Amino acid sequence: MDFLADGLRRAAALVASGDAEVRGIALLTLKIALVATVVACGLGIPLGFALAARPFWGRRAALALANTALAIPSVVVGLVLYAALSRRGPLGGLGWLYTWQAIAIGDILLALPIAVALSAAAVQGVDPRVRRTAQTLGAGRWRTGWTVAREARFALAAVITAAFGHVVAEIGSAMIVGGNIRGATRTLTTAVELTASQGDFGLALALGAVLLALALIVNVALQVLQGKGTG
Amino acid sequence: MIELREVTHRYGGRVVLALDRFTLPPGGSVAIVGPNGSGKSTLLRLLALLETPSTGAVWIDGAPAPRGRHLAAARRRVTLVEQRPVLFRGTVRENLGFGLRARGMNRADVNGIVETMAERLALSALLERRRGELSDGEVQRVAVARALAVRPDVLLLDEPVSSADRAAAATLYRALEAERAERGLAICLASHQLEDAYRWSGDIRALADGRLSPVTPENLFRVELPPGDGTKTVRVGGVEVVVSTDRSGPAILAVPPTDIFLSRAPLASSARNVFAGRVTRLAQQRPGLVQVTADVGVELIAVVTADAARELALSPGGAVVFAFKASAVRVF
Repeated sequence: MDFLADGLRRAAALVASGDAEVRGIALLTLKIALVATVVACGLGIPLGFALAARPFWGRRAALALANTALAIPSVVVGLVLYAALSRRGPLGGLGWLYTWQAIAIGDILLALPIAVALSAAAVQGVDPRVRRTAQTLGAGRWRTGWTVAREARFALAAVITAAFGHVVAEIGSAMIVGGNIRGATRTLTTAVELTASQGDFGLALALGAVLLALALIVNVALQVLQGKGTG
Repeated sequence: MIELREVTHRYGGRVVLALDRFTLPPGGSVAIVGPNGSGKSTLLRLLALLETPSTGAVWIDGAPAPRGRHLAAARRRVTLVEQRPVLFRGTVRENLGFGLRARGMNRADVNGIVETMAERLALSALLERRRGELSDGEVQRVAVARALAVRPDVLLLDEPVSSADRAAAATLYRALEAERAERGLAICLASHQLEDAYRWSGDIRALADGRLSPVTPENLFRVELPPGDGTKTVRVGGVEVVVSTDRSGPAILAVPPTDIFLSRAPLASSARNVFAGRVTRLAQQRPGLVQVTADVGVELIAVVTADAARELALSPGGAVVFAFKASAVRVF
């Protein structure tokens, strides 16, 4: 138990001292997680809406696909992305392998199914009378969609929270396509993995605590936002 | 005019509505009555163009209702208030203005119409409240005001006063009358309460198991008819009803309320069914007509003119005799 207490003490000391390296890793982690969350939710939530809004041929298959994609291991995504971004891959020309952009793309691919599947479930959970009422009052497709989204706002906020939580804690893909390069692609999760493998459990715990604090701050911010205005 | 033609509608393979023709004339006033699950709400959703019938079509002004891009424009002519209406997130004011903003109206015009509607439905004091701060009856009134605010050609109301107290119901009906007096608004109201239906319209259509019933739903009795032809006697509640039919086995008997004669004492007549009892309720059905409910061993409803009711001095608790001919009893 000593190393736990030691880890927490060192985490507090790291944050208090404003260690430049830790600050850099935390900021990079935050940047990648925010970019991936915004892109994945920006694409995935409208897609989830479209899947849930009305029946069409193949909808069940599309929903099943999104739900299945939730279970894709991040290392598999990392491997496929590595193949695509490597010099001889179809996206090799971008030169993004071992960059933060590669990690962000991997995170987007992992968070996208979360955004699609959970937002579809959120919209399906809205009372069908809301949609009907908007339509009978003359709302077009966009206004009806917006009205439904407003009713599902808590569930949609949970989608964003889940997507952020997933990408901020992601390691498998980040390790493969990011390479854990110090000062360039080292994120909090890859740093934790490295320090733990080097036997420095105290530092690993300290970095883990920073990661948790980061997730906590973002979640609290989201809760404050969604708590504004009720009824 | 809005019309359903040869419509059937299914949910999960089960037919919930089957109507050859259902017409709502321009400026008309129709009441649909029927028990829960009879298809009233489905019928209203089809009329509101919120669902597409499984077979058949909805016609508007002599043409099939449009689909695709033009559907939203057609929907703007017909507005439905559901049985348990939902209010959107926001204040009552925002809810009342929803349909107007959807039509691109500017803020000043929206506010003007919202204030008028709120006043008409006694909602002015509630304008800044949110949905969680309203009673069920207030929610219903807000929903009706929100629908009236967009000035539809056709207003469809599903049990509009189910949560309202007497005063709120009166306010609501007054507002609807005012709107109808102002312009040619057609109203179709669904209710499981006959009193509501009669209060609103003389054109009452009864729905049972998704089909239009040939009679209005008062004085309906499920019986087992004995075999044989001609005149038969069957027990209905505490009385024996004489009926003329060739049918036998399970059947529904219907005694049209307008075919029942009322008197204070039994009269010598050709009526085979003469039952003495007490008046339990008097209600004005429409101007000039009174609905008389009496317990004569079974509850029966008759409709007489207001003059006749006055001359007979009918009053709740008073004695009355109901009489009708065996041939007046409809069997189906």
